[in-house]
Parts: sequence; structure tokens; C-alpha cells
Amino acid sequence: MLDLVIRGGRIVDGSGKPGFEGDLGIRDGRVQQAGGRLPESGAREIDARGRVVAPGFIDPHTHFDAQLLFDGQARPALEHGVTTVVHGNCSLSLAPLRAEHRAKLVRMFQQIEEMPNAAFEGAFEWTWQDFSEYVAALRGRLALNVAPLAGHSVIRLWVMGEDAQKRAATPDEIRAMQDLLRACLEAGAVGLSTSYVDVDENLFPVPSRFAHHEEIEALAAVLGEHGRMLQVVPEFYDTDITLARVDQLAELSLAHRIPTTFSPLFDSSAAPANVSRVLARVAEQAARGARVWPQVQTRPIDISFSLDQASLFFVTAPIWYLVMRLPHDEKLRALRDPGTRAALLKAAEPGGDTARFGRLRVRDSQDARLVGRSLAEVAAERGTTPAALMIDLSLAEDLGVHFLAANMGHEDPARIGPILANDLVHVGASDGGAHIQSFATYGDTGYLFSEFVRKGGHLSLERAVRKVTAETAQIWNLEGRGLLRQGQAADVVVFDAETIGRGEELPVRDMPGGGMRYTRSASGVEAVVVNGEVVYTSAGGYTEARPGVIATL
Amino acid sequence: MPEPVIAGATVVPGHDGEAQLVVRVRYENGALGSVTLDAACARKLLEDCAAESAADLCGQPWQRLLDVLP
Repeated sequence: MLDLVIRGGRIVDGSGKPGFEGDLGIRDGRVQQAGGRLPESGAREIDARGRVVAPGFIDPHTHFDAQLLFDGQARPALEHGVTTVVHGNCSLSLAPLRAEHRAKLVRMFQQIEEMPNAAFEGAFEWTWQDFSEYVAALRGRLALNVAPLAGHSVIRLWVMGEDAQKRAATPDEIRAMQDLLRACLEAGAVGLSTSYVDVDENLFPVPSRFAHHEEIEALAAVLGEHGRMLQVVPEFYDTDITLARVDQLAELSLAHRIPTTFSPLFDSSAAPANVSRVLARVAEQAARGARVWPQVQTRPIDISFSLDQASLFFVTAPIWYLVMRLPHDEKLRALRDPGTRAALLKAAEPGGDTARFGRLRVRDSQDARLVGRSLAEVAAERGTTPAALMIDLSLAEDLGVHFLAANMGHEDPARIGPILANDLVHVGASDGGAHIQSFATYGDTGYLFSEFVRKGGHLSLERAVRKVTAETAQIWNLEGRGLLRQGQAADVVVFDAETIGRGEELPVRDMPGGGMRYTRSASGVEAVVVNGEVVYTSAGGYTEARPGVIATL
Repeated sequence: MPEPVIAGATVVPGHDGEAQLVVRVRYENGALGSVTLDAACARKLLEDCAAESAADLCGQPWQRLLDVLP
């Protein structure tokens, strides 16, 4: 008897080849047979008739570092069909980390990834310092597989202490970093992450930014010993500097025979040639044999702000920006002043009001009933205008209400679809588990299928599946995953090709200490299997199974 | 002697959800380039130029831009 049989589905095996009808048999966490009719029964069976049976999705850019320690299911990633996540991106990881540096790292995580303090304090016990102890702490908690990166900033902190944020490393320190990275890789790290742009809580460059190139070169040499990944956050706001980084990564890739990836790369109407120029350079380097993978996200990008700041959201409306630049108390007085208020509301009319302010949603408020709702909707209920409502809500909470302007960039499917379909583009950059109080970083895979397969037709179903399964596994050298073939790990998602997608972005208070985050439920995903065990079904929800492993070991 | 000037500015979302400013620069030979500023740099530019809105940046010398870059 088999452990699990998924019967009668359309198997899209991750290779990109056309899907085919058949059964999937699983034993001891591995695929026994993919296709044909299995006479053998399974201890558990799933009826997949009319559904797609695919390898579990792999998310290569997440920040689930802390969450995995109190939520081994990385909710809601798992219910979207994600069965493996890469975390520790952007130079920040929870290991290797000396006890005296924990507070510093938490502050950097809060600054860069907008992780709430409660996610680190009391939600889990810090039982590790080195990478192998961290891996041991993860074991037994996980419902999905993880491929952790070692963060360059924490490696520098370990070796150089406070000097990590002051200067270049000495040759001895570089050798110590090499030894430390080697130990991380041997303990299961999937690679090294570094950043050229991030700042800490004092807006000071993170430790990785003090590295001279010879340090990066030395660490890349260690990655080369294991064929492991170098993940980089380049100066993505400037195309020319990004091009230079592509060249630099290509040289590292060729010299040390390593894969490299950088993120984010996104489309913007203000810099419409950005993506095409970067991809042209990536293509040039790929032709030389370099492995430089740009990560492109599927979902559009939002802007969030409160009236407490002088957000650039208002910079095209002179009087609004003028008022927003005032100090807090003066701003309160101005917003309460009938003359100023009238001028602001006049500037929001005509046309601009509903179009500009009506689309805004309440991102965070003490009044939970408002959170997630559009200003247009609430204003209509209250017989006011969206702009007036925004002022009134802000005044009621001492300017503490946050608003969200959705789909402000990377939003044109006709431009994004072809980018995602490009053979040189790595679908990723979800940032899962980060920015949780600003927007939902989940459901990007569902959005890939709903927007760019079903609606836009930019990718075939098989090509889209391949992008987020076998191709990702190959890029990251995650052996034995990403394909539904005999002997491969049985990470599987069963979904309805006609309905797979992402749900509405909703605020929930499910973080440690009742903290709020934005999340999205899945649609169309009917069952998720990790290493042969059912971890989620749409009918029964999450199970108690914890079959997740360190995907590199 | 002519020098590059700011030709316009547009608000765009940053990767982290904060608004950023893409400033377009027109060079002496007529070519256009762009620089993306994070919120802090953009606010400083607007302040240095005594600009009340993005439109007021038009025509400002690019040295103003260079001065606010980190």
C-alpha cells in the first residue's frame, strides 16, 4: 500500500512539458509513480479529477525568519501552495548571531522588513548562536521546507563586532568570515545574502555595505566550494548602478561557478526602460555563461502613508504637501482651521477627489471596522467626500491613521506579463513575512496563475508551474525538488486551474501579542502536501503535520 | 555655460511601499536621464529648492539634486 495516492488529476510535473492525466503515488515522502492508473490503494487518497496536480511552489525571497519559530506553517504561505521558502534574504538572518548582537539584529529587521517587536520578544526562545544550532531550533517545527540563507551583515557582526558598521575588514577578518560562512553552508545554508542599499534603525548603512569588493570576492570563493547562491540587493532605484552590479555579479558567477540573484527588479511608468535595459545586460552576461538571475515579483506595488508624515504622495498637490510639511501640532491646527480645510478640499476637486483619494484604503486605525475599507465607500456612507474623510479620520486619532494607495507601480499586466515569461527572469521577490503591517506579501503564485496565465495568457499553465517549481529548484540547487518524478520529494499542490488566485488583502490580528498584519487567503488551492504528508486542504484547513525539512540537507 | 536642469518629477512607489520621487534631468545636449530619490532625499530637495510641489522643481539646476544624494 502506498502512503498517499492523488487520483485522476492533470499532472503538470514542473518540467514545462504538457500536462497529462494520471495518478500520483507517494511512499516514504517520495514520489513512487507519476502518471498512469495506480491499482494500489493509498492509506490516504485525494480525488483530483478536474484539478491540476503540480509540484509544490518554491518562494525564493522571504523573510519568514522569525515567524517560522512561532508558526512553522508560515501562514498563509502554505495554503497558497508554497511548500519551500528561502529566508535570510537581504543580508539579514537569525544566524550566525552572538547573543550580544540579538537586539541590534532585531532593530535592523524592524527597520528594513517592518517586523513588529512582538515577533521577536517572547514569541520564541533564542536557543542558538551558530548556524547549526539555528537549524536544530527549526527542526520539528516546520510544516514546509526551508532553505535558509546566511546574512552577510550578521556574519560581519559576528567577526567584527561594532566595527562591522564602521570599516572594511582586515585580511584576518575576511579569513574568519570565510570560515564562518563555510560552517554555515556545511550546516545547511543555501547561500549568502548581502545588500548594497539597506540601512539600520538609525538610517546608517547595514554592516554588509562596509564590505570592500575583495571581501565579497573571498566569500564568493567559499560559495563556489559548495556551488551555493549569492543573493544581492543592488541599488535598484538607479538603472545604471544596477547594470554595473549585474556585471559584477556575472564576474563572480564566472570566477567561482556560483549562481547569483538580485532583487527587486520592478517596472515603473516613471522609468519605463529600467527593466528592458537590465534584462538586456543580463542576457549579455548569460551568453557568457554567467548565472545572474533577476527576481521579479508578480503583484503590483502600493504606497502607504499617514498624514503625520510629509509623504511624497502629496507632492503633486501643492497645498496638501505644504500642510503635510508642518510640524505635528501646527499641522493639527491647520487641518482644523476652516479656511485651510476648505482650501485642501478645493484642491482635491474636481475629479481628483474620487480618483485620487477615493481609491485610498484605511490601512491601520484604532477603529478596526474601518481597516481595509476604501475612503470612497466609507465617505459615501457618511455623506462626505474621501478627502474630508481622510482629514477627519486622521484628526480623530492624532494623525495616527495610515492609508494605502494600491497598485501604484509594477501594475500594468501588459508590461509585467512578458517580463515574467522571459526565460532569464526568476519569479520571486515576494518578501513573504516582511512589511506585514503595510501590505500582504502572500498569494503571488496565485496571482501569477490568475493574472498572467488565465487572464493575460502570457504564460502557459505548464510554463508558469515550471517557473515557480523546477526552475526555482534548479536556480537554487535544491536537489530532488520541483519535479513530480519518481524518487523526487513529494511536495505537491492540487489546485483548480480555473479559480486559483489570491484573496482580498485583509487585516488580521494574529501576530504574537495580538499584533496586526495584512494577509491574503488563497483561492483554488485544494490540497498541499509536503514530503508526502498532507499539511493543508481547503476543506479541512491546516493539519497538525510537521514534515518540513531543511531543503539543502 | 549651460548646465543640466531638472525637467520634471513623478511620484512612484518604492519597493517597501513608501512613496519615492523620480526626478528627470535634461542634459546640455538635450538627453534625458532620471534619478530616483527616497523620501528623505526628496524632501530635502524640495526644501532646498523652496518647492511647494513637484512641479516647482522644473528648471532647477541639477546641482540641487547632486547636493541631496547620499
